[in-house]
Amino acid sequence: MEIEWEGGHRSSYTGERLRWSCPCAECRGEAGAPGRLARLTTLSPDELRIENVALVGQYALQIAFASGHSTGLYTFALLRGMCDCPECREGKPA
Amino acid sequence: MAPSTQDVLSVLSTIQDPDLGRDVVSLGMIKELDVDAAGKVSFTFELTTPACPVRDRFKTQAEDLVSQLPGVSAVEVRMTANVRPAFMRPKPSDVLPGVKQTIAVASGKGGVGKSTVAVNLAAALRLSGASVGLLDADIYGPSVPAMTGSRSVPEQVNGQLKPIEAHGLKLMSFGHIYPGDQPTIYRGPMVGKAIEAMMVQVDWGRLDYLVIDLPPGTGDASLTLAQAVPLTGVAIVCTPQDVATDIAVKALQMFRKLNVTPLGLIENMSWYVCPSCGHRHEIFSHGGAEAAATRLGVPFLGAIPLEEDIRKDADSGIPVVISRPDSAGAKAFVEIASQVAARTSIQSFRQLPVISVR
Repeated sequence: MEIEWEGGHRSSYTGERLRWSCPCAECRGEAGAPGRLARLTTLSPDELRIENVALVGQYALQIAFASGHSTGLYTFALLRGMCDCPECREGKPA
Repeated sequence: MAPSTQDVLSVLSTIQDPDLGRDVVSLGMIKELDVDAAGKVSFTFELTTPACPVRDRFKTQAEDLVSQLPGVSAVEVRMTANVRPAFMRPKPSDVLPGVKQTIAVASGKGGVGKSTVAVNLAAALRLSGASVGLLDADIYGPSVPAMTGSRSVPEQVNGQLKPIEAHGLKLMSFGHIYPGDQPTIYRGPMVGKAIEAMMVQVDWGRLDYLVIDLPPGTGDASLTLAQAVPLTGVAIVCTPQDVATDIAVKALQMFRKLNVTPLGLIENMSWYVCPSCGHRHEIFSHGGAEAAATRLGVPFLGAIPLEEDIRKDADSGIPVVISRPDSAGAKAFVEIASQVAARTSIQSFRQLPVISVR
């Protein structure tokens, strides 16, 4: 998946990276309980393939994976911070 | 010798739009430019909103600049307006496809006059010549029917509800759908569904502006709205005292988190002029909203006085901008509406992130 930001910067993401970053309560855990992603080390290919992306208002993307998992709302702030291009990596503290 | 159209455009390009920060020629506001052999110059000056606060200034500036060109015998400027859709995007939004701009009115705190502001804002935009709808998203305490004197029940045509028409506005409220004194007893998720239904199942048609009167709070209603439609922006209403501005700031920060642009703060009940002695009282303090706006780096859109007439007209169902256009309250609303319209126009030139999946 690619995003061209308001300022023209481009970011690119693999389905795998996005799936492992899913911010939903089931994956991340809630109220102190660990989530599903903390218990797993591998995910099936279906879990990693992006099926559809929908805009939520103007602050987030809802990404649906081929497995049917679609509860994560990826805010633009999260996605922008995830950008892995050399320029952004350099700007980030190691 | 008559000047060329290029000469005319070149002098007009020195006019800057103060809100958009660019010159009016590159913004595409000058249309149908014609220069005849006798040196008569005529063109259409297309504003981005009929409620433009600098409309008259633009006209005078354009006339003065062009008439100073050598060879010009007469200048004819036709002022028009065409509201542009919010955000530059390839296709209209699936929800509310015919609506160019959606403006939410929120406050966080209840009882600060949000609905009164929303109704008068909508009416003032309508008076300027725009086509305007007003959606009352307050499911528990709908006030729009009473404040607009519209108590009819919406008709259903082809599975869609027709908005109620009053004062030239298209209206929809839960108070229209369930009139009388029966309360709406809903849990949170139902509120979200109800608001979605009022956007999707109502035939809003083509509108320049849809004003959305939000309920108090920073929960279900605001969240549903910010998720379901790309809101152009939100105007925050508050009264001047600390207890109200503190909550208004929370509402503003909520919308910022949701990436909805704050159009600015409006101070309601800002002062009161005693009709018997003429003395000005600041019952709820004064200037709190402006101070908060400065602190947060958002525009201050204006202040509205506390007037008995605003309340009377709201109770009798005629917005004060229509019933008493010369009152201080009405003038304040009209000024605020043009500020809101100007801030809204800026959003037409914003490019949202473009997402592509391979």
